[in-house]
Amino acid sequence: MADKLEATEETNRAQALFDLTGRVAVITGGAGLLGTKHAEIIAAAGGSPVLLDLRQTKPEVTAAAIAKKYGVDATGLAADITQLAEVENVRDELLARFGRIDILINNAANNPKVESSGSKVWSRLENFPLEVWNDDLRVGLTGAFLCSRVFGSEMAKRGKGVILNIASDLAVIAPDQRLYRQEGVPEDRQPVKPVTYSVVKTGLIGLTRYLATYWATSGVRVNAISPGGVFNHQPEAFLAELHQRIPLARMAHADEYQGSILFLCSDASSYMTGANLVVDGGRTCW
Amino acid sequence: MLVALDRSSLFSLQGKVALLTGASGFLGRTFAETLLANGADLVAIGRPAKLSKQEQVWSEKYGPGRVHCYYVDMYDLEALAKSLDEITQRHAVDVLINNAHELTPSSGFNTPAGSLEQGTMDVWMRNLTAGFCWPALTVQKIGAGMKDRGHGSIINISTMYAVVAPRPTLYEGTTFLNPPAYSASKAAMIAFTRYVASFWGRYGIRANAILPGPFSNTEDAGPNSVQVGDPFIEKLKANTSLGRIGRAGELAGALLFLASEASSYVTGQSIVVDGGWTAV
Repeated sequence: MADKLEATEETNRAQALFDLTGRVAVITGGAGLLGTKHAEIIAAAGGSPVLLDLRQTKPEVTAAAIAKKYGVDATGLAADITQLAEVENVRDELLARFGRIDILINNAANNPKVESSGSKVWSRLENFPLEVWNDDLRVGLTGAFLCSRVFGSEMAKRGKGVILNIASDLAVIAPDQRLYRQEGVPEDRQPVKPVTYSVVKTGLIGLTRYLATYWATSGVRVNAISPGGVFNHQPEAFLAELHQRIPLARMAHADEYQGSILFLCSDASSYMTGANLVVDGGRTCW
Repeated sequence: MLVALDRSSLFSLQGKVALLTGASGFLGRTFAETLLANGADLVAIGRPAKLSKQEQVWSEKYGPGRVHCYYVDMYDLEALAKSLDEITQRHAVDVLINNAHELTPSSGFNTPAGSLEQGTMDVWMRNLTAGFCWPALTVQKIGAGMKDRGHGSIINISTMYAVVAPRPTLYEGTTFLNPPAYSASKAAMIAFTRYVASFWGRYGIRANAILPGPFSNTEDAGPNSVQVGDPFIEKLKANTSLGRIGRAGELAGALLFLASEASSYVTGQSIVVDGGWTAV
């Protein structure tokens, strides 16, 4: 058949399978801890990362460092992804500069640390402020929708592209609120993982499946990854509790998702769409 | 642990030893080539008829000493156990890929004898042996060494039919049949994968499954398999979101990802490579 691809040394080599040379990859929340890591692996594979983030996070500084380190074209652009006009401006700027957009990584999300106990525990559902709910959904879901609409349409027009949504293990399982418990604090003051985190991340899986079939015949593949927590010097007691819930008995390293990102952004996953790749050290398998 | 960001080393299998069952089959050959091309030494288990020819081809292509074949009829579980013991003595296996399955009329494929109504116990047992007993044995025997060495990646090749059922309308009016025993045995394989991930995660062993969608063997189609140009392929295509069947090489990325350090935090998972068949 015409589209038969022989199993050859050349086509199966990692260097070719995972190559992103010449591809332009937009990463929302690009200046954050994980956004920067996503941009690095895009750059290491020869692609041109475009880091979108709010002005105060200085995405252009992060991009300049990546450009220097990997010797690629890396761009940092200040934009509020919840504003359609700003996202469209970014598209116009990128098309003028590169003439193409190949990859979108919907990574931006509000993720406030679970608070330590205070006089008013806003994260508890009974107190959860409507403004916080609206803002979290605006960044995590509306932002992903707008970026998909604007950049994804461009890919569909060209007949090729990849969208990768960064979900979470909390898109697959419920938060275990016992993890965040503090000794000696009354029940109604116990800190919890905010409800919006589960809702936003689960919503991204729905967006993933919707877009996967919507653009399937336009050559745009859409997948999600669901990462577990990243080690960032959390308190010992929290780590000990969490490790018991993970078969690999540890949190992820900050750079440990890069393999998954590159796998799903490159042609190495050319027959995958609508999938959710769970990278959680086994937390959801038992 | 720092991950090497260069894409050829992040996904490299240099210096690793990979054990692959069913190496001479349609997908097995792609897996074997992928492992060899990315630096792994290959230990292959299979029947001599096709495998011995492949051994020669691969040794010439990738250099002497890279390919080690063990010839055994895997349905002879005693002989299989003996081969595995021999392998553990000679090779420190880092990656185990359970790929072998019998896709012939003997195991109920493309024959009414495999159907829900008529499937014989023999058909059921041949599928369960392949989908369940073979991985159980290889994991037990090869996993012991992985535990001692504190690392290992186990990859079980299941199928999308372990998570969704074949549709009867797809097969009506054709001579093709995908037996219920196949779905059941491959679903058992996924449960087994999770069990291994759960119990051996603490020893640094990861266990995952790949669930291929429609990857029709049009390369060396036998009289019992789908031929190029068969209208059945059009029906398969129509069931995917991407509108095409998979090419064998399109499983190479998933295999490399799971076999290498690129997936160091992935365990107990099923990677579905199905062109969006199960997304709808």
